[in-house]
Amino acid sequence: MKLDSLIPAPLRKPAKPGEGNGAKGAAPADLKTAPPERPTDTKKLADRAVEAPVDALAWVDQRTAASGFLTGMLFRKVPKGTNWFYTLGSATLFAFIVQAITGVFLAMFYTPSTTQAYASISHINNEVFLGAFVHGLHKWGSSVMVILIFLHMGRTFFFGAYKYPRELNWVIGVVLLILTMTMAFTGYLLPFDQRSFWASVVGININGTGPVVGPYLSDFLRAGPELGATTLSRFYAIHMLLVPGAIIALIGAHLYLVVKLGTTAPPWLKAKKPKAAAPVSQLNASANGSDK
Amino acid sequence: MSDGADKQNGAEAAGRPERPQPKPPGYFEGESMTRRHAFTIAAQGLGGIAGAAIVLPAVGFAVAPIFHRGKERWEAVGPVGDFVEDTYRQVVFTETEGIGDAGKTTAYIRKSSKDLGEDPGQIVAVSNRCVHLGCPVRYVEAAGNFICPCHGGVYDFQGKRIGGPPVRPLDQFQTRIQGGQVEVGPRYSVTSQLEPVRARDPGEFTGGIWEYLYPPRPSTFPPPSS
Amino acid sequence: MKPADKQAYLEEYELLKKKGKPFFPYAVMKDSAMMLLVAAVIIAMSIVLGAEQGPKADPTSTTYVPRPEWYFFFLFELLRVIKPPELVPIATIGIPTICMVLLLLLPFYDRGPERNPIRRPIATTAGVMTIVAMAYLTFLGATGGSPTEIEMEVAPRYEAGKEIVAGAGCLACHKIGENGGTIGPELTHIAQLVPRAAIVRSVEIGPDIMPSYRDLPPKKLNELADFLSSLD
Repeated sequence: MKLDSLIPAPLRKPAKPGEGNGAKGAAPADLKTAPPERPTDTKKLADRAVEAPVDALAWVDQRTAASGFLTGMLFRKVPKGTNWFYTLGSATLFAFIVQAITGVFLAMFYTPSTTQAYASISHINNEVFLGAFVHGLHKWGSSVMVILIFLHMGRTFFFGAYKYPRELNWVIGVVLLILTMTMAFTGYLLPFDQRSFWASVVGININGTGPVVGPYLSDFLRAGPELGATTLSRFYAIHMLLVPGAIIALIGAHLYLVVKLGTTAPPWLKAKKPKAAAPVSQLNASANGSDK
Repeated sequence: MSDGADKQNGAEAAGRPERPQPKPPGYFEGESMTRRHAFTIAAQGLGGIAGAAIVLPAVGFAVAPIFHRGKERWEAVGPVGDFVEDTYRQVVFTETEGIGDAGKTTAYIRKSSKDLGEDPGQIVAVSNRCVHLGCPVRYVEAAGNFICPCHGGVYDFQGKRIGGPPVRPLDQFQTRIQGGQVEVGPRYSVTSQLEPVRARDPGEFTGGIWEYLYPPRPSTFPPPSS
Repeated sequence: MKPADKQAYLEEYELLKKKGKPFFPYAVMKDSAMMLLVAAVIIAMSIVLGAEQGPKADPTSTTYVPRPEWYFFFLFELLRVIKPPELVPIATIGIPTICMVLLLLLPFYDRGPERNPIRRPIATTAGVMTIVAMAYLTFLGATGGSPTEIEMEVAPRYEAGKEIVAGAGCLACHKIGENGGTIGPELTHIAQLVPRAAIVRSVEIGPDIMPSYRDLPPKKLNELADFLSSLD
């Protein structure tokens, strides 16, 4: 192929998949064997220095046995046919990380006070080094995250990936979507300009239209009958601490289930079945456990 | 998910009655079940009490403002002679103290009008907050209406709804005249017949059964008696 | 889904997985490339669009026209489309809550074994319809003008009437030029269809669901009618 000559050798597709050195997808040999013993002979300090990072890793691994889990996770097989649509989830995670990092640094300059919030945002935008840039990353990152989470959900929906055995992961994902929208709503008030103020007024009142509990819910959000001194700090606490904590915990659960259950294959792919189907992994224990 | 697979398991288990009682997970030799039971309850109870001791006060702290009513506040907004019967004057006053400009609000104020069947000699103060979802309404002199820019709510001269999605007439503020000065006090809501009720948030109906579906909040002031 | 379907799926999945490639570095390479793209988009938006601050929050304003962030436009527009006050709680709380519950419980009522979108016509149609509806409402919310202003150029002698029409709330239902709702008939070219007298009569009577503007002073009614009958 012409194209092949342009690609560096390591990135080229192997000529015959399946052949070559070692099974495809197997862990490199050095990661699977036990960590080397510490060298007793210390002739040269330089040798020690070179070995130090490896030693440190081995030291950690001896005490945590993390390498088995990590190699299992990293080199687990992803089904055939996985395409670009499957990157939307990790892209959403990346957008969340962007929000978390930029948010922490914005918090260093922001004052959640009704009288000072607007001025502190002006300060970030006009005087802090790269302030407008970091503020912009956070502001537009939120839009990008909302788009990505909807695209990710759309992919899951149309590929039928919410079906057995991944129902629970869909539920966690929908809760993450709601939490993301909560973040978008609570973060919107913080700059305290006209746009954010009135959007929050309308948003709080929308909560208030729920019968019976609605009026109390909007009082809770505002910390009183009118938008007052502690409304902004309340939104700030929800935006900074409460919801991000819940999101991080749920992302952990979401990823655990992704690794445990595996990413789906595109629904139009069908495997050619051999005569005797290979025994299925631990997953069928729940479906067919009693006969073992 | 309780479906076929689990039912199948249950059926098979029932088919083999001689099966020995399965030991509970973690069972060890010589363990007494009553002792285990007592420890289970104690473990959950102690942990639960410790958790509740921290969580309940914190939650109470967060929801306390729902039950707190601030001090009643009156503010003079100008001499009686400033206000007329057939049009509104816009005044800005402080509704919530201690938060600077963010605590201010706008009221449209006029004298009560006999032609509209109101008690004479009163001052009417209409809030600028749309009762659909809280956007700012504007009094349009040319049409004698209040209109809301968000979703197109329209109110007549008295603040009664004549078009769009608002659910009740515009809120009002209590007023009184002291030493020739008009003073504006706490906010209250009105029913469709303009009878005063406790202040409600936008989007909440007033009067009739709605008084129970959207209960009055403890943080608001009682309406003026009329 | 029957136990046999579940079993079949797991076996099928196991086979596909056997033929697959390891997550690292093959899937991770795609993920990283996508992350780089996302980072580039966010950085570009931050540099090009910036993070401009609007005027300071002012609760006393009577002229500000609130607009939500774009991803809430569909909800904003839903509130504008649903007019009768009795339905307001349905628009604000009812529909969003029902949608969220339906979304949350999706795997529990859609339990068929089929996963291919082409062979799940109901699910696929419902999904596409939802996306189209949300996109349409977002588009309306993004492009809809304010319902209290008419951004149309008119001759100076019609300015007074234009102001009255904008202020009387006609745009809550009627579209004039770029502004206004779609519940009532569009008035942009109303003079082509209806003579001046009929306009006056409609304003006074208030046909159908339209409120009557009988109380409008005669001078204002005249100016209003002048403006509307100039629209051709």
